Formats: sequence, structure tokens, C-alpha cells
Amino acid sequence: MSIAAKITIFIREKYHGFISFLVLFLIWSGVCHYKLISPDFLPTPATVGTAFVKVVSSGILGKSLGGSLIRIAEGFMIGTTLGFLLGAVMGVSRTLERLFAPLINALRQVPIIGWIPLIIIWCGIAETSKVTFIAIGAFFPILINTFEGIRSVSHSYVEVAQVFEYSRVKLLRKIVIPGALPSIVSGIRLSMGTSWLLVVWAEINTRSAYGIGDLLSSSREEHNPGLIIVCILVIGFVAFLINELFGHLEARLNTWKKSYR
Amino acid sequence: MERLGTLEVKNLNKKYRSQNDDLLVLDDINLTVQPGEFISIIGSSGCGKTTFLRLVVGLEKGYEGEILLDGQRLNGPSLKRGVVFQDHRLLPWLSIEKNVGMGLKNPKSGESRKTIQEHLELVGLKGFEKHYPHQLSGGMSQRAAIARALVNRPEILLLDEPLGALDALTRMYMHQELERIWMKEDITMIMITHDVDEAIVLSDKIVVMSSRPGTIKKIIPVPLARPRDRAGYDFANIKEEVLAEFQLHTDHPFTYSI
Ligand SMILES: Nc1ncnc2c1ncn2[C@@H]1O[C@H](COP(=O)(O)OP(=O)(O)OP(=O)(O)O)[C@@H](O)[C@H]1O
Ligand SMILES: [Mg+2]
Repeated sequence: MSIAAKITIFIREKYHGFISFLVLFLIWSGVCHYKLISPDFLPTPATVGTAFVKVVSSGILGKSLGGSLIRIAEGFMIGTTLGFLLGAVMGVSRTLERLFAPLINALRQVPIIGWIPLIIIWCGIAETSKVTFIAIGAFFPILINTFEGIRSVSHSYVEVAQVFEYSRVKLLRKIVIPGALPSIVSGIRLSMGTSWLLVVWAEINTRSAYGIGDLLSSSREEHNPGLIIVCILVIGFVAFLINELFGHLEARLNTWKKSYR
Repeated sequence: MERLGTLEVKNLNKKYRSQNDDLLVLDDINLTVQPGEFISIIGSSGCGKTTFLRLVVGLEKGYEGEILLDGQRLNGPSLKRGVVFQDHRLLPWLSIEKNVGMGLKNPKSGESRKTIQEHLELVGLKGFEKHYPHQLSGGMSQRAAIARALVNRPEILLLDEPLGALDALTRMYMHQELERIWMKEDITMIMITHDVDEAIVLSDKIVVMSSRPGTIKKIIPVPLARPRDRAGYDFANIKEEVLAEFQLHTDHPFTYSI
């Protein structure tokens, strides 16, 4: 299938979603056109467009996005790797589950913002603290999903493996992990979504050189409502892309799982 | 030299623990299966047939009595004892050919591919290599499970109602195939079934079980020449004998299912 054809299908399938964007845009244009709200409060589409072009052509948007994405990559990698490993060993071993589950269940009740004072004491307010913050946020969803995914693998399949004399490692590789994979991937998707949320939050609250949250903060300080809207749209769009990407991956892995719809 | 693969079950009792009291599922089962024999087990639902099979496979622990293979106590499941489970248990995330190759040491080798292909053809699933279990019908899944169990050439093949979901004609075709495989591979087969005709067509001996608790009521030998004639006089006599155990009588050779 050609790329153009794929895009056409994508638009056709998602066009209900585009309608809501279009309607919102028309209302916005109308409100601005008839000056129902002062442009100090609500910038016009033209102002936003100009701000967007400016911030793209100066390269600031690129650098800001790049800064945020690197932070995410680091925090997300650390958080998901640790979360996956702990979730996996807890899923496989009842003893380790008994050992860690109470602690994990207690810690994950702490709202992520509750960690901030401790992170600041330990890591300061520079890069390390932001990465740590994201890592903690990414850690729990993948941990829970990996654990639950492993435990949802039917014992029937384990018996099949026993009859074929699978070793413990082969049992994990061929039965447990593939069976848990759909759940693990939705854990990754949740972790990724959380990471994106947290990076923006961290950048707004403790400034760094480049980041999409920093751009948002400075546009407020410079009283540039056009740029604020640009930042909000970009943040939303990236979140949308992340969701779409992992959603597709999940759907592909889930072909063998027949759900009720 | 004496052939290997003699299965001896002596004074076997199996209890399942429920909330407050123990449920006796199998009561004093005694059975000897010679290498190369075809045994059918027939009995009403819930009488403990699957439990017996699981014990012989080695999946069920905690029993009284002895289960001996060539005089040795069983020690867990083994590649030498293949199983076709009552629910086919194909892995839903693997294609049919990968499912069938599950028990092979090196499923990607040329030789393994050939074996997988042969067994898929054997059960009539050629062309469905790349399909996934949810794309197959119940009967096709059962046939794939049979292929998977056969691929390793087990000494004993245990089948739990393997043809239950098949239509009458495919079932007859599978009877021929099972008999052919059984003769060619010279393996012991123990099959649970509800189909009296099926049991008579295939078995050397039919084990009739009664329930609550599960006991062996009678072992009926089937000394007929193969391939067996379903319409024959001797066939009808044996059928009468089996059905009598269930207080059923027949004077016309139709299929009866227990
Ligand atoms: N894991 C278990 N725990 C407790 N009771 C069990 C368990 N498995 C089976 N039973 C009980 O043991 C009895 C025999 O079950 P089994 O599955 O062996 O029957 P079956 O003869 O194979 O029946 P069917 O023809 O319906 O498959 C039943 O009463 C069942 O409730
Ligand atoms: Mg059963």
C-alpha cells in the first residue's frame, strides 16, 4: 500500500476525531473575528500561526523538544527497565512477591509530586532530579502491568511446557513472556504517557536550558499568549503521537487476543 | 529383548482436597498396559478419566498406590509421554506450525520443518501453517493438538477425547489415521472417549469406568482383526457388551455415545 493510500485510510478512519478539531478551530476563529474576547486573553489563530513559524524557524522549538525528549529517554529507560525487572521477578517468584509487594503497594500510593522534596534534597534541581522524577513515574505502571501480565498466563500452558520438558528459562522465554507481552506493552504505553506528563511538569517547575515546559514558562513570563498556545498544542500533539504509536504496537500484539469487541 | 514402555497402575487412589472434606476421585485402579497396546477408557462425565490421564502424564502429584513405567515410579512429565488435552491448549500467540513444532529441540532446522509439514498433512491441516489458533475451528484445533503431540514420537500417547469436536465423517477419517499412526509408529495409545464405536474400532481393550468414586467396572477385550468392520456381527456383540455396562441395550448398530 502506498503512503498516500495509508494516509487516506487513516484520515477516513479518524475523521470523526478531526471534526472536533475543526469545530473548535472555527469557534476560535469566529470568537476572534468578532472580537468577542480580547486578544490579550485569547490570541487569534494568526498570532498563534506567526508565533509557531517564528519559534520553528529560530530553531527554539526543535531544541526545546529535543531537550525534553532526551530527559524522557533517560528517565523512561531507567524507570521502565527497573520496573520491568522487578515486576518480572515478582511475577515469577511467590517469595519475591511476598517480599516486595507490601513495599511497592505502599510506595505507589505516594502521589508522584510527593517525591519532589526528597528528590530535590538528593539530586538538587538540575538534570538529575528531573530524570529521577520521570524514572519514578515510569517505574510503577510497567511494574504492575508486567506482574499482572505474568500472573494472567494460564497454568494450562505451563503444563504443556512441562510435558515438553521445557527448562525454566525456556518456559519463561516461550510461554510466560509471550503470554504477558500484551500487558507489558500497555504498561510501557502508560509509563511513556506518564513520562511525557512529568517532563513538562518538571520543566515548568524547575527551569533548565531547553525543554518544552521551559518554553511554556518563558512564554508566560514574556507575556506571549500566542506562544503559550503553540506550546500547549505541541505538548498535546506529542502525547497524541506517543499514544498512537504504542496503541498500534499493542493492537498488533493483541491480534491473538479476542476481546469482547 | 523385552520391549520398553510397560505401564502398570497398582491400587491407585486419588483424592482432591476441597474446603472441608476430601473428595475420592479414583478408587483402587489397577491396570496394566503392554507396549504397543491401544486402550480406550470410557465412562460417564466426571468419573475421573481426565484425572487418571493426568496422573499417568505426571502432571498430578499426591496419590496413593503406584504408577510404574517399566517398573520405575513416574517422576514428573516427560517427552516420552505425549498428551492431547481435552481443551486443545494450543498457544494462542503462535502460528499453527510453530505450535506443532513446540516440542522439537530445534524447530527451525530443515529436518524439523519437514517433520512439522508431514504431521500437518497427516491431520489434514496443510495450508493452515501460518494461521493462528483463533482462526481455526474446534475440530481443526484438536487435530493440530494431535499433530503437536505426535511430532516428538512419544512412547505412550495419551489422548483426552481427542476427536470430541469433529463431525462424524472427519472422525471416521481420523480413526483410520490414528490406527495407521499407531501401527506405523508402534506406540502405546491410551484414549478417553465417549464414543462406543470409536472405542471398538480402535482399541485392543476397553476400560469401562463407573463414577463416584471412579473405579474400573470392567475391562473388555476387543479381539477383532483390523481394520474393523463397523457393520460386522462381532462388532455388534462387543458393542452390546459395552452398552450393557451402562444399562443400555441395542438391537440395531447405530452410534451410541455415553
Ligand atoms: N483440580 C481439582 N480439584 C478438585 N476437584 C477436581 C479437580 N479436578 C477434577 N476434580 C473433580 O474430580 C472429578 C473427576 O474429574 P475429571 O476431570 O477427571 O472427570 P472426567 O471423567 O474427565 O469427566 P469428563 O468426561 O466430563 O471430562 C470431578 O468430580 C471433578 O469435580
Ligand atoms: Mg475429562
